[in-house]
Amino acid sequence: MAEPGQEAAKNARGARGWLDPRHLNLERWAYVFQRVTGLAVLAYVLAHIGDTSFFVGGPFGGGPSPSSWSSDLAVTENALGHAVLVMVVLVVVYHGINGMRLILAEYGLIFSRPTRPEYPYRPISLRTAQRHLIWVAIVAAILAAVYSGGMLFG
Amino acid sequence: MRESTLMQLQYATGAAALVLVGLHLLMQGVLVPYGEAVSFQRVLSVYKSGVDAGLLEILLVVVLAHGFNGLRVILLEWRQGGAWTRGVNWGLLAATLVAVAYGTRTVVLAVTGQAS
Repeated sequence: MAEPGQEAAKNARGARGWLDPRHLNLERWAYVFQRVTGLAVLAYVLAHIGDTSFFVGGPFGGGPSPSSWSSDLAVTENALGHAVLVMVVLVVVYHGINGMRLILAEYGLIFSRPTRPEYPYRPISLRTAQRHLIWVAIVAAILAAVYSGGMLFG
Repeated sequence: MRESTLMQLQYATGAAALVLVGLHLLMQGVLVPYGEAVSFQRVLSVYKSGVDAGLLEILLVVVLAHGFNGLRVILLEWRQGGAWTRGVNWGLLAATLVAVAYGTRTVVLAVTGQAS
């Protein structure tokens, strides 16, 4: 049995608390990955808004510009840029499908009926669709990354 | 806005982003080959068709609202305090508006401008 306040102390560790891989079940791992992938996607989206602005000549451009766009493509269309895109596909697909699971859970659509806790105390939340959907998110993300990798490097 | 309202907004923008990002990825490499999708002529024709340009603008707003509100949630969970909360809320709202404005400028210039 945990001491009173022990859970609160754990939470007070902030980011290190949710990145600490000990004592995490599948659902906690899904939560950590949801946050890490969310931050990664936000960083990519901001970079993407910056890079696509070179279609109209960049920050000081005034309209569609083929020369500005081809100099932008020269920066992004190479092995490193394509590797970044494959990683983006991986984290976006995971974040999207796992996020759909969180929405369904929030509105109570994929919970089984509550039962009395019994040994070995496996979380009820992970007994049904939730567990399957976490794995769907992981497998779909890997398949999408493999597909995009094959397309960009094949 | 109340935190519970903002969280409902986070779910709504998340669900919308799921559809819009899915469509965006399909158009940039599955239904349209990637090499063609990033070509100047193809991108120009996407912006010149009103519906696609409108979808890109909606995608921009939805994803930035969802992303910056998600960052806000993480930062407010990381540290607590009145000044911190106000700083994060207003700072990220400003950052969201700047990013939306910059992306919208790209869309507007691409839709209205003449190719040089």
